[in-house]
This record gives sequence, structure tokens and C-alpha cells, in this order.
Amino acid sequence: MIAVRAAGLGQRFGSHPALAPVDLELAVGERLAVLGDNGAGKTTLLRLLATVARPASGRLELFGLDALTRRAQVRARLGYLGHQAGHYAQLTALENLEFFATLQGRGRVEAREALAGVGLEAAAGRRAAELSRGMQQRLALARAVLHRPELLVLDEPDTSLDGPGRALLGRLLGERTAVIATHDRALARGLCSRALLLRAGRAEGDPWQLRVVEA
Amino acid sequence: MAVTWAVARKDLRAEWRGREMLPALAQFVVLALVIANFAFDVDLTSGPRLGPGILWLVLVFAGLVAFGRAFAPEREQGSLEAMLLTPAGPAAIFAGKALAAALLLMAVEAVLLPGMAVFLGAPIGLQVVLAVLVATVGMAGLGCLFSALAAQTRARDLLLPVLALPLWIPFVVVGGRTVQAAMGGALVPGQPLVVLAALDILFVIVAALAARVVLDE
Repeated sequence: MIAVRAAGLGQRFGSHPALAPVDLELAVGERLAVLGDNGAGKTTLLRLLATVARPASGRLELFGLDALTRRAQVRARLGYLGHQAGHYAQLTALENLEFFATLQGRGRVEAREALAGVGLEAAAGRRAAELSRGMQQRLALARAVLHRPELLVLDEPDTSLDGPGRALLGRLLGERTAVIATHDRALARGLCSRALLLRAGRAEGDPWQLRVVEA
Repeated sequence: MAVTWAVARKDLRAEWRGREMLPALAQFVVLALVIANFAFDVDLTSGPRLGPGILWLVLVFAGLVAFGRAFAPEREQGSLEAMLLTPAGPAAIFAGKALAAALLLMAVEAVLLPGMAVFLGAPIGLQVVLAVLVATVGMAGLGCLFSALAAQTRARDLLLPVLALPLWIPFVVVGGRTVQAAMGGALVPGQPLVVLAALDILFVIVAALAARVVLDE
């Protein structure tokens, strides 16, 4: 079964083409690493795949559903980690997760499980503002997986993570389909079965049939 | 409904712990009343006549500050994006933000109305309180809608007043007349409050519908 199918998916910022039309297929359970320098279009591609941004052109299907017209159904099945942590500084780590659990139609149990899954049980009662950068990243990861999504779209999830934190990435991914942007090739090799290298705005390697222009 | 309450509770809890807005707005209200007192040389005779105008001016500016902060921090810290990526509807999220902003402004009004009596000698009766509270609901709906729109731009602080003030005029006109009549001791029939409530319903529905588009783009 195909989890991600992009056909001619492209993006423009004003008159500037940020992502040339992309064709991409990812089977259920596959993990794709997106590698490349800054400004290669990795984040743009991930934001389109996560339905955070609307594409300028093309179609995107996630689990056979049109991602543009059936956003709510699609979003219930994906977890996204962007560049910003997106926490509420005045709320505790647990309160942050409980809030998002409510929005996901989940309960406190799932929030506590997600917190435990990233090793932050001891910090449950600490305000997000008081957490270290690495702990905030763990909390963001917990938010991305708390509704048990089938697809994870993670933009540089290893940012600020220590050794144990990076090790938990593999556990969180489990059997899920994932698209992961990272600068760490060793991490990509460890986590992903396929890789896409973007260099100077162009994809290297035919198997991915991906063309990206420099943002 | 659970989403709306969760969003509102989250905003109010964050404000209670951070105390970023309420103390500043309360201070603004008191200072504005003190300045108005000296600027208009208010006495017991002129207080009830000048009071309604001062009340609505202070309320409008306090509202611009309160609603202006409703969406900008969410966008800056990426939490709005995280909320919109959940299956929760944009309208429910918007309603929660508007509810919290409205309650915050009502807390400010709890300072403003007694302050009117103390500094301006304006009689604050039930009609005045009701007019202000009912108008706050509609103003919050529109204010939060334009706050969400303005938060997407760099000139958000300038854009919000330009967008919100023209559409708040009906609330100021109807609410102002109601308060003026009440402070003047005139009997105010129930109709102005009904008009304010009708404006509330109209603008809250329009804002909730428009919020789907504004938030999800």
C-alpha cells in the first residue's frame, strides 16, 4: 500500500520557485531521509507533505486520501515536527501534551504515555520554559506521536538531542512510515531505508524522481 | 465544544501564570481614567455626560491590545501551526481564542467600570454593565478574527486597528447611546441591548465562518 503519493507537487514563494514539481511515492512502513544543505528545499518539501503549506501546483495523496480536500482526515493520521517547538512556555510539559491530546480527541492517558515515551516523566510538572533545549525537542517529539500517527514527517528531529535522545528516535519511529530531514547522514543511515540527497537545489539519484530548486 | 474550552482554558491559564496582559491593561485603564479626569476637568455634573465617551474610548483601546495579542504569539512560537495540524476544527480553535480574549477584556472591565465611578463620578448601573458585557462578545469575535488575519503580516500592530475599528463602530454607537441614557438617568428600554445582542450573533457567526479560511491558509 502507498502511504505517500505526490504528483507534480511544487511550491513558489512569490515569483521565486522554491520547489519544482515533484513526483514521489512512499510505501507504508518505508522511511525516507531527506538530506541536503541549508536552503535546498527540504523544509519546503516536508511542509507540503505534512499539509502545513498548500502547494502551488500538483497533487498529494496520503494513504489514498487527497491531502488538499480531506485535510482533517489526513492530519489525524500524520505527526509533524517542524523547526519551532510550538510549546506554551507557561504550561507544564504534561499540560502541553494534555492540551494537544484534547485537540486530537485523545485523553490524559495518551499524554502521559507520550511523555514517558520520550523519557520526560520526571519533568512532567515543569513549565516548558524551564526545560532545556533538548528536553523541549523531546517534548515536541512526544506531541508529534501522542495520537499514534501512521506517518511521521520530522524536520531535523535530532536538533539539540543528546545521545540517548537520538537513540529514542528509532524507538519512536517503530514501524511507522516516515520522512525525515536531517544533516546527519549517519542518523539517516540508521533510521531510514531510502535517502534523497538535495544539493544546490537538485535531487541526486534517479530512484526518487525528485527535482528541487534552490530556495 | 471540548476543543473550544481547552483552548480558552489554556490561554487563561497561561495568562494567569505569566501575568503579561492583565496587570498592564488594568494599569492602562486606571491611567486613562486619571488623564481623562484632568483633561476634561470632570466634576459631578459633567461626569455622567462625558463618561460614556470616555468609557468606550478606553474600552476600544484596551480591546485592541487584548485582541492584538490573541494570535501573534501563537504564530511566532509555532503553536498555532501545531493546533491546526490536529483534527480540531479551525472554528473551534478560533472560538476558544475569542472566548479567552473576551473573558480577559471582561476582567479589564471589572477595573474600568468601578474606576469610572471613582474617577469620573459616573453612575454605573445594571444597564451600563450589561451594555458593556454584551458589546464585548461581538467585539471579541471581530477583534480576534482580525487579530488572526493581522498576525500573518509584519505590520500587525498597525493593521489590527485599521481593520477592527470600522466594524466596531456599531457596538460603540449602540452601546454608547445605551450607556449615555443609563448614566443620564433616562429609562432605557430593552431594545438597545437586543440590538447589541443581534450584532453579537451576526458578527460572531461571520467571524467563525471567516476564521476557517483565515486560520487554515
